[in-house]
Amino acid sequence: MIEALRKKAEELLRSKTVDVVYGYGEGSVPERTRPVFITKPEDVNKLTWNKYCVYNLTTYLKKQEARKLGKPAIVVKGCDAKTITVLIKESQIKREDIYIIGVTCTGIGEPPATKCKACDVNTPLIYDELIGEKIENKEFSFDERYAELDEYEKLSEKEKWDFWQKQFAKCIKCYACSSICPLCFCDRCIVDKNQPQWIDPSAHPRGNLSWNVTRAYHLAGRCINCEECQRVCPADIPLNLLNKKLAKETEKNFKYRSGYNVDDELAMATYKEDDSEDIFK
Amino acid sequence: MSDETKFEPRIVAFLCNWCTYAGADLAGTGRKQYQANVRVIKLPCTGGIDPLFLIKAFERGADGILVSGCHPGDCHYNSGNYHARRRWNVFRPLLEFCGINPERIQFSWISAAEGGKWVETINGVVDSVRALGPFEGYHKINAIGPDASSEKS
Amino acid sequence: MEKTLKKENFNSLITGLKDKGYKTIAPKKDNNLVMLDEVQSADEIHLDHVQTNNSVKEFFLPKTEKILSYKIEKNKVSMEEPEGFAVKTVIFGSRPCDAASLPVMDKVFNWDCSDKFWVERREAITVVTIACDKCDSYCFCTSVNLAPDSKEGSDVLLTKISDDEYLVETVTEKGEGLIKELETVFSDPAGGTPERQIASVEKKFEIDKVKPWLDENFVNKVWAEFSTKCIGCGACTFVCPTCHCFDIVDECTMSKGDRVKNWDGCQFKMFTLHTSGHNPRSTQDQRWRQRIMHKFKYYVEKFDNILCVGCGRCSRVCPADMNISEMLEIIATEDNQKE
Repeated sequence: MIEALRKKAEELLRSKTVDVVYGYGEGSVPERTRPVFITKPEDVNKLTWNKYCVYNLTTYLKKQEARKLGKPAIVVKGCDAKTITVLIKESQIKREDIYIIGVTCTGIGEPPATKCKACDVNTPLIYDELIGEKIENKEFSFDERYAELDEYEKLSEKEKWDFWQKQFAKCIKCYACSSICPLCFCDRCIVDKNQPQWIDPSAHPRGNLSWNVTRAYHLAGRCINCEECQRVCPADIPLNLLNKKLAKETEKNFKYRSGYNVDDELAMATYKEDDSEDIFK
Repeated sequence: MSDETKFEPRIVAFLCNWCTYAGADLAGTGRKQYQANVRVIKLPCTGGIDPLFLIKAFERGADGILVSGCHPGDCHYNSGNYHARRRWNVFRPLLEFCGINPERIQFSWISAAEGGKWVETINGVVDSVRALGPFEGYHKINAIGPDASSEKS
Repeated sequence: MEKTLKKENFNSLITGLKDKGYKTIAPKKDNNLVMLDEVQSADEIHLDHVQTNNSVKEFFLPKTEKILSYKIEKNKVSMEEPEGFAVKTVIFGSRPCDAASLPVMDKVFNWDCSDKFWVERREAITVVTIACDKCDSYCFCTSVNLAPDSKEGSDVLLTKISDDEYLVETVTEKGEGLIKELETVFSDPAGGTPERQIASVEKKFEIDKVKPWLDENFVNKVWAEFSTKCIGCGACTFVCPTCHCFDIVDECTMSKGDRVKNWDGCQFKMFTLHTSGHNPRSTQDQRWRQRIMHKFKYYVEKFDNILCVGCGRCSRVCPADMNISEMLEIIATEDNQKE
């Protein structure tokens, strides 16, 4: 698979189809990889593929430093590929401006990441070239998809509050969660706006609650569950639970799953006349 | 507010200019009485209410919030309330997931003609939040930094 | 003064500290992390780790801190400064690299004006360090003139001499005072030379070669090549024991407010953004260069100290696997010529 990947990258660079390949390379330690940006065909041997390729490289599509390198080919797993669908829908990129090297994936991380448990995109849904044997994508029920939320949803109101207060107390406001998120592409984040100051910049319980709730909410109906926010959090806050909760509500209420179909209307940018009225008096 | 029997909830109501606000006005012109615990904030449309408004209200000491706009199909701007409805359908469960009692965040559709429904709704919100008691959790985290709940409004 | 401390006496040590009115901070397991945090008993202490995820920094320079509150009434502004922020504390079991960051930062916090929050906390806190008996590939203390058993910044240094015993060496008068206060907990050394269990940390680069290169290479393509993967999150600066930049904000209503000091970091785009919209460090390679330059050039020129203790936290936590010692290796082995 690595050979096929390198060969494809070399071919793309030689033919000048793309200027740069965003891929995975060897990391500081064997249990880690790192993003690499290959611009010369002779450097393609720096590309690798293994179970430690956790990064969602589409996040570099929002970074001017990477974009400066020219038209990219991006190595994506099934989960990462969903991001591209959303970015196209949200007019952040044009399909023809990127070349997608999809890789089939049976799970990453050691121990395996939570997202891999109910993975239904072992083979990416969108790609220009597929590397690896095509895998028949599994299907999961609604309950299976959101199973990890169960133990938290059944907590009492006070237990929920205490749990999240304890989690948010650890937040140091480094904003790694939004920096890594490929869908947090605002040039100026709400948290950086101070006229008025919507979110207290301090890492105290009030500022942390506002920030973490707002970050999650801004991904409602958009998050594709790559779990990058949770992976990078230096304070080990289970941020993806919030994202997943919103994905669950979005699916429950609007039958919408982000990143699966480029023809779907974006959940939070549309409405139906018969949307749920349950909470309205 | 130390004496629980004296607890009077602070309710912030975000109202649409075209319907609920006029409905509340009608209740006033009709001399209908309702509980005075509510602070009304008038906005052009429920579609323009950012969830941050609600968070800010809690940060500044609200015990409960009401968001109210035009009945579906009646939006002055055609679809603002439909978009709002989507928003609240996911935002409220998120807050609930974080341990905020959903009764503290309520929504309603009240038209300009429904002065009676306004009275009924706001009394209902005040009563249910009064029953829940002060929003201790948020009051506690508000204790750092300026907490407007002790300020006279 | 040399003593020994048996592991079985940890409990009496912690209760002893409590009785003497100390707050005790020690490494504690918290899910996937090991965090320095307040402990009530010795059972909570976790010592089987290379490095805690947080550094001692937050006990001297908290992530957020009120520096004053104010009230505006008619024509009067009244201000109130916080008191009682410096609590008598013992940090037990931090690493020598963490402790070494403290005297380095003393210089900046006592420079043009003395920062009372830092100074008073420094006085109130006693640092009891445990020398490292293991390390990982991110550690590089030996490359920045420190060692897994350095005494810089510690008041007391413990070194493992057997599975259940530590050698206790006092470094400062404050440390000596602490040992005397809790005399009964410690034993006298058995005599002879105990075998100290100390990790051997590989030396990765010649620190002497770093500054001369930096002097010449403010402009170099290495900066951009190395940092394309940087996502600009600033996690490195927040976990760093020597990064000390902060931001001051007012959290206020119309009539009153708090002035708050929060951690800030040079890796954020907003850090240098001017009101005009101009940003002197507009790209991430410039911000990455700033981090290296500040640590290994500017701080050295100003305070004659490297602003890095080789703890490796920034590299461990980096979401994109940027490795600072790798960068320094590149610098130290580059031909010392400007391109």
